[in-house]
Amino acid sequence: MEQQPILDILYVAAFFLGGVAFAIGPFVAAFLLAPRSTRHVSGKTKQLIECGVEPIGDAWIRYGIVYYLYALIFLAFDVDVLFLFPVAVAYNQHFAMRDFVEVVIFVGILSLAVVYAWKKGVFSWERKTYTPR
Amino acid sequence: MGTENVHPPIVQLSTVDKVLALGRANSLWPMTFGLACCAIEMMATGAARFDLARFGAEVFRPSPRQCDVMIVAGTISKKMYPAVKTLYDQMPEPKWVIAMGNCAISGGPFVFEGQYGIIEGADKFLPVDIYIPGCPPRPEALIEGILELEEKLTGSRRWPRVKAG
Repeated sequence: MEQQPILDILYVAAFFLGGVAFAIGPFVAAFLLAPRSTRHVSGKTKQLIECGVEPIGDAWIRYGIVYYLYALIFLAFDVDVLFLFPVAVAYNQHFAMRDFVEVVIFVGILSLAVVYAWKKGVFSWERKTYTPR
Repeated sequence: MGTENVHPPIVQLSTVDKVLALGRANSLWPMTFGLACCAIEMMATGAARFDLARFGAEVFRPSPRQCDVMIVAGTISKKMYPAVKTLYDQMPEPKWVIAMGNCAISGGPFVFEGQYGIIEGADKFLPVDIYIPGCPPRPEALIEGILELEEKLTGSRRWPRVKAG
């Protein structure tokens, strides 16, 4: 009877090792069996862009993050809707008026976030660029 | 010309090499890459009627890093020449080149005295393995070229040879 748990652990360990070998084995096989260099005619093997054309400039550029603020505001609405689902399930089970008032208060408080952002000028689409120092 | 020595794999066993060659030959991955009208025939070869999938070479990859075979399908203009070279460089070993059509073989109809626009044949700068003549070659010819390449890899032909005519 006492050998049963050890046997179980051994089974789990065997399956775990099998899984790990299954995941890592192909990498090891490829590392051992793949040729370690490639022929080239113009020395562009390490070029990152794979369309054959010389890359223009760098990918690390500065760009406006206007949309990022929109995404944050969307998050406010998103959480809003998320919490309205349980409300919709429980709505009108006892006092419809009380439920309605509570939803209005909840949505109203969350809407203040939008009002705040509006006041701060988030909804006017202006590129906010900063010159690199 | 892309013929310098390749560092061989760490492990080299002749049986393993044979198995690998068999695997590579039966699933060649060409590059999605057409230069001129031969590319139309190449597309037809990959599509339903001629169905290159029957021979395991239908996975046209859009990235050179995933490709085995570069099918140079068309005229290599001097504008495209650096791009073709870059794409060849980016393909990992083992890799093969098929010159499809007369333009890729020798410049085809565009070769005349004083021409300034094209490279006269892919083998001017790439180590070409298989030449497929035609202007453009029929899809059957491209399939035959793929089969020839398979034969080059494994040393034996998988499909019966069909006599011309």
